[in-house]
Amino acid sequence: MFSIEVLGLLLSATIQAGTPILLATLGEIITEKGGILNLGVEGMMAMGAFMAFLGTYLTHNPWAGFVLGGMGACFLAFLHGVVCLIFRGNQVVSGLAITVLGLGLANFLGTPYVGIKTVGFDKLDLPLLKDIPFLGEVFFKQDVLVYFSLLLAPVLYLLFEKTRFGLRLKAVGENPYAARARGIKVFFYQWVALLSGAFLVGVAGSYLSLAYTHVWTNGLTAGRGWIAVALVIFAFWRPFRAIWGAYLFGGVMALQLRIQALGSNISSSLLLMLPYLLTIGVLLLACFKKKGLDAPAHLGLNIEPKD
Amino acid sequence: MKMNPLVSLRNISKSYGSVRANDKINLDIYPGQILALLGENGAGKSTLMSILAGKSLPDEGEIYYQGQRVFLTSEKDSLALGIGMVYQHFMLIEEMQVWENIALGQEEGFWVRKNKIKEKIKDLIAQYDFTLDVDARVKDLSMGEKQRVEILKLLYQDSKILILDEPTSVLTPQETEKLFAGLRKMAREGRAVIFISHKLEEVLEISDEVAILRKGQIVDRVATRDIASPKELALKMVGREVLLDLKPREIEPKEEVLKLENVWGEKLKNINLSLRRGEILALVGVAGNGQQELVEIITGLKRKYQGKVWLFGEEARLFFDSPKSRDYLAYIPEDRLGMATCPELVLTENFLLTLRHHFQKGPLVDYKGAERDLWSKIEEFKIKTPGTHLKARQLSGGNLQKLVLAREFRREPKLIIAEQPTQGLDIGAMQEVWKLLLKAREKAGILLISGDLGEALSLADRIAVIFAGEIVTTFSSRDGEKVAQIGFFMAGGK
Repeated sequence: MFSIEVLGLLLSATIQAGTPILLATLGEIITEKGGILNLGVEGMMAMGAFMAFLGTYLTHNPWAGFVLGGMGACFLAFLHGVVCLIFRGNQVVSGLAITVLGLGLANFLGTPYVGIKTVGFDKLDLPLLKDIPFLGEVFFKQDVLVYFSLLLAPVLYLLFEKTRFGLRLKAVGENPYAARARGIKVFFYQWVALLSGAFLVGVAGSYLSLAYTHVWTNGLTAGRGWIAVALVIFAFWRPFRAIWGAYLFGGVMALQLRIQALGSNISSSLLLMLPYLLTIGVLLLACFKKKGLDAPAHLGLNIEPKD
Repeated sequence: MKMNPLVSLRNISKSYGSVRANDKINLDIYPGQILALLGENGAGKSTLMSILAGKSLPDEGEIYYQGQRVFLTSEKDSLALGIGMVYQHFMLIEEMQVWENIALGQEEGFWVRKNKIKEKIKDLIAQYDFTLDVDARVKDLSMGEKQRVEILKLLYQDSKILILDEPTSVLTPQETEKLFAGLRKMAREGRAVIFISHKLEEVLEISDEVAILRKGQIVDRVATRDIASPKELALKMVGREVLLDLKPREIEPKEEVLKLENVWGEKLKNINLSLRRGEILALVGVAGNGQQELVEIITGLKRKYQGKVWLFGEEARLFFDSPKSRDYLAYIPEDRLGMATCPELVLTENFLLTLRHHFQKGPLVDYKGAERDLWSKIEEFKIKTPGTHLKARQLSGGNLQKLVLAREFRREPKLIIAEQPTQGLDIGAMQEVWKLLLKAREKAGILLISGDLGEALSLADRIAVIFAGEIVTTFSSRDGEKVAQIGFFMAGGK
């Protein structure tokens, strides 16, 4: 039953399922590099998904949806920033509140549109590359957001490791007081990290409503935001490892759908549980590899004003 | 031959609550000079310099840079003028590499040009004869190396005024020599070096001029070569005659409170000790010879060892399970901020840490009562603080230590384990702590672990020397012959 074509389809589905998780994970990595813990990913993703749908539905242009989706998440991130960066509120509590708010807002605003279809990002075959046997089928007959997410990982790697911005951002996340003593405007970097990270989380949401499906339903995110939060730890805050992590989850999601479709007699509830079980699994794995403790040292802590 | 000052501070004042840390200070800083700021803890040295470094804002006063009035509202402003400071608590990013720490904030352009930056740093390292691996992660460095990273940060951006806050407190004597050589070179190049310290000998050795601060004011400024004796300097610093010889009168020792019989541990080898109420036993030795393990065993922090430990005639295990353990034994740890106190808790809460059971009202804690009690202790122990709502980390070292002593003595312990009780304290605070310990001796037996021989000899009735986990010898501090040989014992001689 597992012919090479089936495998190809499965891998292709893996990438589609993994892409939103990858985008959200990369977004959260940027934010956390700046020392900000954002547990609102799930809510921001839902908000992004809805705003992207709405933007596309109204303009018939998926790129308008793309931008609006990112902006939707940025709006929630802005609230998070006001609470945590300006008023130095608790980042965990604020993040959780934003998840609840984002999920609620998306459901509330989206109710009239449930079941409505819209245009979205269609498959965009890359010339020449698509003709590579097998790999072309898996990787190069995807939609534009897949290519975007795959390009993003090396771009972020270069940003963190080779640029002035990256060096300073990491310094802020590790020890904002040391960074401030060197004349770095720590809050500027934190706001940039928070908002740009949130934009990507919003784009991850857009992927769900514009590429993964072309229709609006409630509860589209289904815990993917939480998986992204866990994956950041699994990826040790490194963009390339995020790719493997996200596709691992994509694979399990695609596989369980496949097994369900084959009419296996394993309960579907158990199969649906698989990605979340895997989340716990990878977190344990990351703990066993002690290097997983590479979290930015000042993650989740507020910066005291100077006297 | 006086040149124009590079920086002039005029009428600088700064208060924290009701404590006036700086009171109308005037100070000129000249290029090519090493200026020592000498003063007790809390005299306002660090405050004054953090104002110059842009870290704190003065309440009043003006700052002139080459005659021009400037406003230093952030570290960035000061750095731009070439004023940089090496803080006592290093401002380094532990996870990052040495070169990244040094270049941070000074990188140019979009891309970080790693090789070029590293070359420049290596040149500086060679120029000042530092030894340092630019690729090492800061967390793997020794304190001395970390300090060099801090200094290189300033040299990398060609700072003209370098401020060092108590730089030698973390250094070995050899490292101190190297640092001094580097500082002299910097002064020869025309930089101004400001050296904050409370150690007299050091100040005399390194500085060209000394400015003495006391209670937020500059009481004197003298050229170092005109100073006749360190004693004169000390007098100016504390404003009262220093009692360097306390000569404790002997007390008749009472019952035995601590006894160790053939105790073996990871480092310890066959330790036998006995301590009575009314005496101070000083355990001296080079750090790392098993002192820490011994303290951990006696205080019950470590329960894996061979042999017998008796506390107040009871076996240690039984003692720690009995209600007596609440008050009979007091421990004054070396690590004041972290082990003795919680840095982020306010003073009242820190006061309650070991006194909870004294302030119980049913299931509740009597905060009001504790606060009243703390106030009386603040007066009794002369702790300088604007209030009880301050966090422990906001107190200076000496005042924090006095708080810890006040708290522990409040329990009226019969056995006190005091670990390096005056480390990092200035002479004034040191004297006060010594007097408090001598007073406590009347009611308790004190085991003093000290790296400072002068301290051990001034306070102790008996001295035990530890080397490589063994008690080499124990003798009375009045035994002149043995006392003369301490150095020999500390190196393992018998």
